[in-house]
Amino acid sequence: MKLFLSLLFRNRLAGFGAVVLGIVVLAVLATPFLPLPDPNATDTAQKFLRPGTAGHLLGTDHLGRDLLSRLLWGTRLSLAVGVAAAVMAALGGSAVGLIAGYVGGRTDNIIMRGVDMLMAFPYILLALAIVAALGPGLLNALIAVAVVNIPFFARNIRGIVVGLAHREFVEAARLSGMSHIRIMLSEILPNVVPVIVIAMSTTVGWMILETAGLSFLGLGSQPPTADLGSMLGEARAALITAPHTALVPGAMIFLIVMSINLLGDGVRDALDPRLRSGALSRPMAAALVRRNGPVPEASDDLLALQDLHTEFHAGKRVLRAVSGVSLAVKPGECLGVIGESGSGKSVTALSVMGLVASPPGVITGGAARFKGQDMIGADFETLRRLRGDRIAYIFQDPLATLHPLYKVGRQMAEAIQVHHQIGNAEARARALDLFRQVRIPNPESRLDSYPHELSGGMRQRVGIAMALANDPDVIIADEPTTALDVTVQAQILSLLDDLRRERGLAIVFITHDFGVVAQLCDRVAVMYAGRIVEEGPTMAVLEAPAHPYTRRLIACVPELGGGRRELAAIPGLPPAVDALPPGCAFAPRCDKAQEACRAGDIALEGASPRRVRCIFPEEAIA
Amino acid sequence: MRQFSLTRRFLLTASAATLATAALLRPAMAQTPPGVLIVGQIAEPKSLDPQAVTAANDFRILVNLYDGLVRFKDGTLEVEPALAESWEISEDGKTYTFKLRPGVSFHDGTPVDAEAVKFTFDRMLKEDHPFYNTGPFPLAFFFSSVENVEAVDPATAVFTLNEAYAPFLSNLATPTGAIVSPAAVEQHGADFGRNPVGSGAFRFAEWRSNEAVVVEGNPDYWDGAPPLQAVVFRPITDANTRTAEMLAGGIDVMVEVPPVSLSQFQSGYRIVEAAGPHVWYLMLNMKEGPFTDQRVRQAVNYAVDKEAIANNVLEGTATVAEGPIPAAFGWAYNPDVAPYPHDPEKARALLAEAGVAEGTKLKFLVTEGGSGMLDPVAMATAIQADLAAVGLDAEIQTYEWNTFLGEVNPGLEGKGDMAEMAWMTSDPDTLPFLTLRTAAMPDEGGFNSGYYSNPDVDALLEAARVATDQAARADAYKQVQQIVHDDAPWLFVANWKQNAVTSEAVENFALQPSFLLNLHKVAKN
Amino acid sequence: MGRYILRRLISAIPVLLGITVIVFAIMSLIPGDPATAILGAYATPENVARINRDLGLDQPAIQRYFIWLGNMLTGEFGRSYSLNRPVLDEILDRFGATLILAGTAFVLCAVLGVLAGVISASRQYGWADKAITFAVIIGISIPSFFLGMLMILIFAVRLKWLPVSGMYAIYGGGGLGDLLTHLIMPAFALAVVATGVVAWLSRGAMLEVLRQDYIRTARAKGVPERRVLMGHALRAAMVSIIPVLGLQAGFVLSGAVYIETVFQWPGIGRMLVDAILKRDLLLVQGGVVFVAAIYVLFNIAVDVAQSMLDPRIKT
Repeated sequence: MKLFLSLLFRNRLAGFGAVVLGIVVLAVLATPFLPLPDPNATDTAQKFLRPGTAGHLLGTDHLGRDLLSRLLWGTRLSLAVGVAAAVMAALGGSAVGLIAGYVGGRTDNIIMRGVDMLMAFPYILLALAIVAALGPGLLNALIAVAVVNIPFFARNIRGIVVGLAHREFVEAARLSGMSHIRIMLSEILPNVVPVIVIAMSTTVGWMILETAGLSFLGLGSQPPTADLGSMLGEARAALITAPHTALVPGAMIFLIVMSINLLGDGVRDALDPRLRSGALSRPMAAALVRRNGPVPEASDDLLALQDLHTEFHAGKRVLRAVSGVSLAVKPGECLGVIGESGSGKSVTALSVMGLVASPPGVITGGAARFKGQDMIGADFETLRRLRGDRIAYIFQDPLATLHPLYKVGRQMAEAIQVHHQIGNAEARARALDLFRQVRIPNPESRLDSYPHELSGGMRQRVGIAMALANDPDVIIADEPTTALDVTVQAQILSLLDDLRRERGLAIVFITHDFGVVAQLCDRVAVMYAGRIVEEGPTMAVLEAPAHPYTRRLIACVPELGGGRRELAAIPGLPPAVDALPPGCAFAPRCDKAQEACRAGDIALEGASPRRVRCIFPEEAIA
Repeated sequence: MRQFSLTRRFLLTASAATLATAALLRPAMAQTPPGVLIVGQIAEPKSLDPQAVTAANDFRILVNLYDGLVRFKDGTLEVEPALAESWEISEDGKTYTFKLRPGVSFHDGTPVDAEAVKFTFDRMLKEDHPFYNTGPFPLAFFFSSVENVEAVDPATAVFTLNEAYAPFLSNLATPTGAIVSPAAVEQHGADFGRNPVGSGAFRFAEWRSNEAVVVEGNPDYWDGAPPLQAVVFRPITDANTRTAEMLAGGIDVMVEVPPVSLSQFQSGYRIVEAAGPHVWYLMLNMKEGPFTDQRVRQAVNYAVDKEAIANNVLEGTATVAEGPIPAAFGWAYNPDVAPYPHDPEKARALLAEAGVAEGTKLKFLVTEGGSGMLDPVAMATAIQADLAAVGLDAEIQTYEWNTFLGEVNPGLEGKGDMAEMAWMTSDPDTLPFLTLRTAAMPDEGGFNSGYYSNPDVDALLEAARVATDQAARADAYKQVQQIVHDDAPWLFVANWKQNAVTSEAVENFALQPSFLLNLHKVAKN
Repeated sequence: MGRYILRRLISAIPVLLGITVIVFAIMSLIPGDPATAILGAYATPENVARINRDLGLDQPAIQRYFIWLGNMLTGEFGRSYSLNRPVLDEILDRFGATLILAGTAFVLCAVLGVLAGVISASRQYGWADKAITFAVIIGISIPSFFLGMLMILIFAVRLKWLPVSGMYAIYGGGGLGDLLTHLIMPAFALAVVATGVVAWLSRGAMLEVLRQDYIRTARAKGVPERRVLMGHALRAAMVSIIPVLGLQAGFVLSGAVYIETVFQWPGIGRMLVDAILKRDLLLVQGGVVFVAAIYVLFNIAVDVAQSMLDPRIKT
C-alpha cells in the first residue's frame, strides 16, 4: 500500500488530482457543518449578484440564492449521483460484457446486437420512456444515465473477456470441473476489474454532465434541491447576462472530472507492475546520455566498447546494469557474450546503438566506437544512419520483434529503403534475394505473409535476412535462437557462421548458452552483474575456465542425450544491481569465496585476450 | 526533438489556414439590404395554412400573408372591417351577413369573393368537403357554432349559427378565420401549407426548411402597399442564440426576449412591450386535500409575493394578475378588483383558522416550459419558497410540456394539489368558459382540472355568451371577475406583457394585444 | 471480406427490426399524444378524438405498427404532422446538414485527437504532454452548449469574425465559403469532447505500442523517428484507436443535438428532439430508424476497417 501510494504520488499530475479530489470530498463532507446560508432561501431582489459580494462569496443565482451554498450542497448530491450511476452502469455493463464474452457464440451475438440497439437509440427517447414509467426526479435520471452507459461498459469488457476466455488458466479451471459462474467470478472477473475501475472513473464526470442535459425533460433534481446539473441547466438562460451562474457549477464539474481523470490515470499506472520496474515510460528514439567521466581514446577495432556504463533510473533506485564493460570485434570475428538473465549482456548490446529503453535507461559513461567514431555522443541522425546499415541487430522472439501489421516483405524492403534510395520493385527483388540467402522456402510467397502466419524458425530467418539487408559490417545478435527448438537452432547457427565467413562480417553473439558459443564464437566474454568477469578465446575458456562462475556456466551445457539442464543449477540468484555487495558480486553464491573477495573492488587481470576478474581463479592464466 | 518540427509546422499551418479562411470569407457575410426586415422567431412554423396551425409563433407570419373578414383594431382587441367592408347581425344573433370589399384579389390573382369565404369555412368544418383531408384543423371548434356559410352573391357571404355566440366576431379576427385562395388549395392539396396564397400585405416567396420563411411586399394590397420590400422569418430556437444574433446584427427584430436578456438591449435598441390577454395561475385541487377550504385557497393567494415574481423573476415583463379576466380586455375588465396583496401574516392566520397544520405537504405539478408558461420552474421555486414561509411544504414535480398536459388535463384528482397553467386568448369568454364552468369538468371534456363549481359563475358565463349587447357582456364578466377572485379557485399570479426588441433602423413597429405581429406599416431605413 | 460484410449486413436486419418495435412501443406508451401536442390547452376529448381520426391514430396499435412497417419497407415513411410534409423529405434534408456537421466534427476529432495523442505520447511528461493533457481534460469536462455560446459571444458578437448561427447566410449565401464560415464554430464545439476522449485514449495506446519490441526493431533498422511514430507505432495503435473512433461517432451524433440547437443548425438531431417533444410519431419513428441504420452501417464499416488493418482478426 505504501509502495502504491509512493508510486501514485511519483506521478505529479496524479498526486495533484488526488489532492484536488480530496479537497472537494472534504468540503462536501463538511458542508452540513459549515456556516453557510440556506441553499434554498430565495431573495429575488438580490438575484445575479456578482461573485465577491458581501455575504455571497460566489454571488447569487436567478432567484437570489447563495451560489456557494448551492454549489457545495449540489456537489454533494452530484458526486453521489455520478458515482452511483457509474457504479450501476459498470455493474450492469460488466455483467453483460462478461457473459457475452465468456459464453460466446450465439448468446454473444444476441447480446451484442441488443447492445447495438441500445447504442443506436436516441437516449432522450429512452429518458422519456423512463419518465413515463417512473416519473420525474433525480433518481430516475440516474437510472436513465446508467442505462445509457451500459453499452459502453459492455463493449469494453466483452472485448477483454473474449481474449481471456480461451487462455490456459481458464481452460484449466474448466477442465477441473468448476462451474461457469465460478470461473467467471473467480478466474475472469479479477482480471477485468482494473479496466472496469478505470472506465468507471472516467465516466463519473460525464454522468454529472448528462444529468444536466436531461433536466429539461423533468429528469433531474426537483426544485429547490441543487445538483450541479440542474444548476447548470438553470444558469443556461442567463448565460449572456450573468455567466458566473454557469461558470460556478461548470468550474466544479471541471475540477471533479479533471481530478478523477488524473487520479484514474495515475491509479492505472500505479497498479501496473511494469511501472515498478520503471518500464512503463515510453522509450525515446535514442537512449539518454549523461556521461560523467572522460571519453576514452579511439582504438582501431571495427567495433569497440570502452568502459561502458549504463544505468536504469526508477524513482530513487538506480540499477547499474552495465558498469565498465569493454569489448571489441574485428572484421570476420565472432564474439560471444554470455551470462545469466540480468547479467547486463543484453543492455550492453542495446547500448551500442542507443537502443536501451530510455527512460529509464541512461548511458552514464564510456564509448561505443565504430571504426573509431563514438556513437554514444553522436547526434541522432548519425546514429540513425548507422543503425541497420553498418551495424544491424537480430533480436530474440521474432513474433514480438516483427511488426504484426506489416507483411514481412514490406518490413524487409523498408529496412533497405531507409538507407538506400531505391524503388519498391527493386527493394522487393532484394528482399527476395535475401530470403533465398537465409534459405526460406517459397520465398516469393513468404514476402506477402504476415509474421503471425510464419513459424518461429521462419520468423527468425526473416529477422536475420532483415539484419543482412544492407550488408552490414557488424551484426549484434541478442539471443537469436533461444525461442527455437534444437534442430532449427542448429540450422540458424550454421547459417550465421556461413554468412560471416562469406561476407567477413563481425558478429557479437549474446547468449546464456555455452553450447551455442562453442559452435560459433572465436572469443567469448562472460558477464556477471553488469561486468565482464572473464574473457578469452573460446577454446581456452571452455577448456580451462578461470572464474568459478564460468566453470558453473559451462557445467550447465546440455550433453548429448543428457537432456537439458537449467542455469538454476547454480544455487542462488544474481544480485540486484542496485545493491551490489562490495568486492566480487558473485561471492555470495561462490563456494570458494573468502574474506578478501568481499573486501574491495577486484580488477580484470591478465593479458589480452585472456583475462579474469577473480583473486582466487580456478586456473592460473598466462 | 528535431524529428518533430514537421508535425509542429503542420499544426501551425493548419491553424493559420483556418484563421485565414475565416478572415478571407468575412466579406461573404453580406449585410441585409435595406427594406428587408429579418425577424428572429422562436421556432420553425408548422405550416402556413392558417387553419392548420395553433401556435402564436406561426400566427406572426400568417397575419401578414392573409386577411380575415374582420381584424383587430391596432392596439386593441376590438374588431374592425378587413375583407368585409361591413356586416349585419340578426336580432337573435344567429345570422351574420358580410359585405365584401370589392376588387380585392389573392396573390395568385383569383378574386376574394363570397365563394372563397364559403370554401375556407367549408374546408375546415365539413367532413365531406373535398379538401377536408388537407387538415387536420385543430382550432375548427372556434367556429363549431357555424351551421352554414352561404355565398349569396360574389360580394355577400352569410353565416348561419346554430345559437347566438358572442365571441364569433373575435374568432373571425384570429388567423383561424383567415380566407385562403381556393385555387391554391385545389392546386397544392396537402402541400398548401408550404405554398400559401392569401390576400395579405405580403406574399409568400420562399420557405427554406429550418432556415427562413421569406415573404415579399404586396404592391397591390388593398390597404396600401407596405413600405418593406420583404420580411424574412428566421427560426432560432435557443433564446441565447437569438439574443446573440440580435447583438451581432444578424436579425432586426427579436420577439419573446427572455427577461434576463433585456438588460443587454438598454441602449442602441428599441424595446417594445404590450400587455396581452394572458393569465398565469396555479389551479388548485378543490376536490380533495387542503384546498377544498376557501380560506386555504385565499391564504396561498396572500402568501405568494407576486410583485417579486413579476418584477424580479420576470424582470418586469409581467404584471400581477387579479382574476381570470386580464386588464388587456379593456371593456370586460373590472378595475374594482385588486390583486391579493402579499400578506404572510394574514395567510398564516387563515391557515390557522382552517386548521391546516404547520408543514402540511402540497404536491405541486410544474412544467419545464410550454406555450405562455414564461419561466415556469423559476416561478414555481419562488412560489415554493413563499409557501414555505407560511408553513406549507410544496413538493415540486417537473414534467416536460406534453407529459405535463397529459398529467394535468384529465384533472388533478390523485395527482397533485396544485398545478401551473397559462392561457392566451382573444376573447374574455374563452378562458372562463373552458376552465371554470361546472360543465367544463375534465370528464366532460373541459379544462376545469381543479374542479371549481359555482352556479352563479355558470349562469353569468352562459348569459354573456349569448348576449349581443357588449355592455351586457361586460357587466357579466366584471361580476365573474369579482366572484372568482373571492372564491380563489386559482392562485392568480401574473399577466404577461409580451415584448420585442428591434434595431434602431426599424420604425413603426408595435406589438398587438392579440399577440399577432402586423408588419404592414413597419419600415426599415 | 465480401462474405464478412454481407454477413454483418444480414445481422443488422434484426437489430433494425428490434429498433422499430422499441421505438414504436415507446412512442405509444409515453404520455402525451400528437393531438395534445397539436391542440395544447385546447385538447378536449372531442377535439383529440377528431384529430386522432384525421391522423389515423384511432386504430389498434399492433395494426398501426404493421401498416407503418409495411409502408416503410416500400419507402413510404408517411407524413409528419408537425411539419406538414413527408417524413422522408424532412429526414433527407436534415440528414445532409447533420452529415456535414457531424462528419466535419468527426474528422476533426479523429485527426486532432490522434495527432494530439501521438504528440503527447511521444513527449510523455514533457511540456507538450502536460499542455495537451490539460486541454483534453478541459475539453471533456466542458458542457458543449456552454462552449458553443462562449464561441458565439467571442467570435460572432464581439469580434464579428463569424456568423452567429445557421448554415447559410440569409442573403447572398449558398456557396462553399459561406458554408465554411457557418461550419467552423459548431464543428469545433461538437468535436471538442470527442477530441479529448480520442486524444486521451490515443496517448495510452501509443504509449503501450511504443514499449513494444517491434518499435525497437524499427529503430534498430534505422527508420527515421517520424516514420516510427506516424507509421509503425500509429498503425499498431490504430488497432485499439479505431473502435474508440467508432464509439465516438455515436457520441458525436448524439452531441449534435445540443450543438444544432445552439447554432440553429438545421440537422437531424434537433429535429428528433423537437419531434419527440411534439409527439410527431411518424417523424420520430422514421428518424430513429434512419439514424439507427446509419449508426449500424457505420459500425460495420468500423469493424471492416479494423479487420482490414489487423490481419490477425479472423473475418
